[in-house]
Amino acid sequence: MPINNVSMRGSLMAAAASLALIFAVPHAMAAPGDGASWQPNSSEKLVKLPASYLKKAVDQDYKRSPLAAEMADTESRIRLKLQTLGDLRDAAGRADGELKLELRHQLLAEKQAYLKLMARHHDLRRRRAQTRIQLYEGLLRKLGRDGAGMTPQRIALAEKQESARKRFDASVGKVDMVLFRSSVTSESRYGRDYAKNVAAIESLVHAINRHPMNAKAEIDGKPVSKQDYLRQLAAENEAELATVQQEEGILGYMAKLIGLDALALSEAVTGTDPNDKPEAGDTASVASAVEFFVSR
Amino acid sequence: MIISRILAAATIVAGLSATVPGVQAGSLENLERERALLVETLISGDLSDRERQKKVTLSRARLIDLERMVLRDKSLAMKNTPAVRAAFDNYDLTFLVHASVEKNRMLADHWLQEIGVSTQSLMNTRMGRR
Repeated sequence: MPINNVSMRGSLMAAAASLALIFAVPHAMAAPGDGASWQPNSSEKLVKLPASYLKKAVDQDYKRSPLAAEMADTESRIRLKLQTLGDLRDAAGRADGELKLELRHQLLAEKQAYLKLMARHHDLRRRRAQTRIQLYEGLLRKLGRDGAGMTPQRIALAEKQESARKRFDASVGKVDMVLFRSSVTSESRYGRDYAKNVAAIESLVHAINRHPMNAKAEIDGKPVSKQDYLRQLAAENEAELATVQQEEGILGYMAKLIGLDALALSEAVTGTDPNDKPEAGDTASVASAVEFFVSR
Repeated sequence: MIISRILAAATIVAGLSATVPGVQAGSLENLERERALLVETLISGDLSDRERQKKVTLSRARLIDLERMVLRDKSLAMKNTPAVRAAFDNYDLTFLVHASVEKNRMLADHWLQEIGVSTQSLMNTRMGRR
């Protein structure tokens, strides 16, 4: 009698587990409402950062966000859950009888919890990738707006200024020689200060150009523009989104397998077996009684 | 008594300077003003040769710096105004001093050449009634 009670309880629990598993994964995926958020701002400061440093700045901002903390917590819980699953599987392999059934049930419950954690992890990854894509697209739009400010007239003006500057640079030596060789005209204070400052500016610009943090962003070892680099970062996160979507399919298959395991466990608990004797209703066939009627 | 008057006067001066709106001419405006004064000096009939030469020399010294300031002023690229466009449309007239040295001309000759007045064209003119 106690065994029957245990079997009944186990059967009910296994059935409940199998039912719960069917709904568990989609439910966990559709319930992201919590404090785990990351709201980076595509500010002007970020737009002006060197391309090579931009990603680092975004990553650092992410690391300080509640979303990153939640992601790290979920990942550590997943690692622990995997250890638990391994231990339970080993223990169930070694156990017999009622204990084995109990351990199998626990293993199913832990698998269910693992799936929930994985669904949560996928949800966080999706949010991170979507936020990054939005951020990079925002930065691209801002860069585009800066470029859009250059109307044809303004471009023409800039070209004229550039050609005037080139003409001036080409003739400045001659002008200085002609104008300042006479004692009448001497170099002005502006000229002297400008020359002094130019030397200082040149050394600073040289140092900036050589600075490792100012190195141009590279894709496959080739230097690229900031726009191209941002597009590459956005594409990488699109790939992350696609991977998450594919892995959700894997989770779905895992959930189905656990459901089937739960059904198998339920049958094992209730004792249904192909070699068992036929149930009462099977012997009540009319055909089996025919011989009683045809013989005298 | 004297100190309080000084303080009162200083207060009035400070108040006045605060109410006067800040007027700041750009590099191009300064250049245009100096260039206008130079052209006025060049064509003025009221000056003797010595006075004209003295004024032109002073004006040229100032123009050297002002022209260089305009040429190096990167903020002008963002000022797409008719004045800025006109200034860069004609280098030879805007940057008179540098262009004249570049072309080995006297300042007055260079300006006259650029506006289309040459010795030949002057010699070909005839006085008459219109």
